[in-house]
Amino acid sequence: MNIQNENGQMLLFSSNEWYKELSHDEIQKVISQAKGWFDRLNAQGKIKGGQALARKGAIVSGKNGRLVSDGPFAESKEAIGGYLLLDVETLEEAIEIARTNPALAYGTSIEIRPVTDECPLDTWARESALQEQLANA
Amino acid sequence: MNTQNQNGYMLLFRGNDWITSLSPEEKQKVTDQWMTWFKRLTDEGKAVAGNPLEREGKVVSGKNRVVSDGPFAESKEAIGGYFLLDVASMDEAVAIAQDCPGLPYGARVEVRPVAAECPVASELKRPAEFATA
Repeated sequence: MNIQNENGQMLLFSSNEWYKELSHDEIQKVISQAKGWFDRLNAQGKIKGGQALARKGAIVSGKNGRLVSDGPFAESKEAIGGYLLLDVETLEEAIEIARTNPALAYGTSIEIRPVTDECPLDTWARESALQEQLANA
Repeated sequence: MNTQNQNGYMLLFRGNDWITSLSPEEKQKVTDQWMTWFKRLTDEGKAVAGNPLEREGKVVSGKNRVVSDGPFAESKEAIGGYFLLDVASMDEAVAIAQDCPGLPYGARVEVRPVAAECPVASELKRPAEFATA
């Protein structure tokens, strides 16, 4: 698989609050490792954007968004702690970058997702139209 | 809840499963509504970025840096896309999320304040503050 994508690739970081169990020195070490990792990618022009998310928030669901609930975001291993938008064209390159992230050793997992400028609903509509054409051919 | 946050808010659209249950007409309708919604927020200066994500991808995890597949396509939890909002309060971000056209079909919107700095770095400051207190 070697998918080209000029919209870039998104890394989504998730983990529990692993850093709360580390000593001050250990945290300092991971931070400088992570900073080195980020600075190197940035110097190579591979980073388009990125932010950390606060470990709080709300979830809106239900018709008309009537249901508004709190997290949980703090303790959850699934919660997204931040993202990085990479200016790289292939999923493979994004995976290679993700694999060098220093926080993986502490239980962070990184989701790598190609960014698209076409809504998935459009893609789906196009695919089903194509399938219908094939079925009728 | 009316937390002020000058860094803005991120909306994460959760769930890719509801899309498959729509008829072609409904898909078209929701797509149009979604585009109109995003355009209005952009025109108002409230949305500064936004993109759908492909319904595929990989996950890297563990000390051994294992690469595994999704599942992203039919997952209830998978993130289908995001908006980055330039609004100052949680209340306003939630009110915008409540306009999401996917909600009646089962989509969920996660509203998250953007942090000024990495939470790991914030953690580092805590003991220091404690020590000087």
